[in-house]
Amino acid sequence: MKFPSEAALRKSIAFVATLGVGVATYIAIVESGGGSPVCLAGGSGCRTVAESSYSHIAGINVAIFGIIGYLGILATAFMVSDAARFGGFALALGGFGFSIYLTYIEIFKIEAICQWCVGSAVLMTILFLLNATRLIAYAGTTTGARTPLTEG
Amino acid sequence: MSDQREREKRREERLAAESQVDAKDRRQRMLQLAAGAVFLAIVVEVVVIVVAASSGGGGDTEIEGVTEVNQELSGIPQSALVIGDPKAPVELVEFGDLQCPVCKGYAEDVLPPVIENQVANGEAKLVFRNFTIIGPESTPAGAAAIAAGTQGRGWNFLDLFYRNQGAENGGYIDDEFLTAVARAAGVKNIGKWEQERNSPRLTTEVENTTAEAQRLGFQGTPSFAIKGPSTTGLQPLGTLGSSEEFEEAIEEAS
Repeated sequence: MKFPSEAALRKSIAFVATLGVGVATYIAIVESGGGSPVCLAGGSGCRTVAESSYSHIAGINVAIFGIIGYLGILATAFMVSDAARFGGFALALGGFGFSIYLTYIEIFKIEAICQWCVGSAVLMTILFLLNATRLIAYAGTTTGARTPLTEG
Repeated sequence: MSDQREREKRREERLAAESQVDAKDRRQRMLQLAAGAVFLAIVVEVVVIVVAASSGGGGDTEIEGVTEVNQELSGIPQSALVIGDPKAPVELVEFGDLQCPVCKGYAEDVLPPVIENQVANGEAKLVFRNFTIIGPESTPAGAAAIAAGTQGRGWNFLDLFYRNQGAENGGYIDDEFLTAVARAAGVKNIGKWEQERNSPRLTTEVENTTAEAQRLGFQGTPSFAIKGPSTTGLQPLGTLGSSEEFEEAIEEAS
């Protein structure tokens, strides 16, 4: 099976993770500020989601976890080592699982969808796929090797 | 000389082979670890979702904050959803939705100092009107509050409802939950309350106050309006942020 070069994967991961940092930061700002919070009818999924009891875990806004996760993944994209490959994969796996949980909560518990949260979930899914590809293709190689998957 | 070269060559080959074996081992370990992580993530995911699904949905009849709320409001006159001296010069009206988490915050933190001071000392009375925006479950909840109000326990009902509020449209607002709140609020005649809250008249009342809030230009809950000697009719305040702002607004209106 032919994989993209590790350099290309790392660039893509860095790009998507940067978008993720932007989205999560935006959500964190919207959730924490913006004048007097009110509950709005219709078309205001983000506000509903932000005001729900699910928006904080242990008193911390879930978007903060998002920022930390994306920054961590971004950092691993700049390193070439098995630790970075596995670290990126593990963070993206965690983020992906967390996104599934949050999307479940939005749909079934809060019954409101916030498009920015959906955006973050999509980015995290892409990052999970990219990091999984990177790990499977290049684990055990010392450099961004050109000959991945040395069998035998 | 050639012997030595031969030996070096063999050594290099051996090292290369070893490093390849090493790399293969490392790769194997890494992928096993990854598979383990995926397995663990799936288990955690399933457990978390199952726990989330089973919590909060059902009619939890364990009502919290009963002593606190009933103590806080004791001794202050109530009729319908009005708390405070009926002859108080200033009337502060809250347009709220019982399902609204922001209203819950107001009921717990922002309004109690106002009730304790300006409502208790007769400067102002506080009125709750339903402005149902979150979902269809807000209407029976609002009607149940009005029905509790006719027995003088309206604000106890509102405050206890907020303290025990569940997820928006989460299905927790059922007969069992509403009855538990009414009992905890001190509604004496549950049979009468039951009959009243189910009457179409109260549903209409909830719809009317919602329409009134819309006429005043409100779009979210809680929204407030005030009426007093210094205002011309019911004047919209919007959503004030703190107890102090409410106290100032009451001063200005009186």
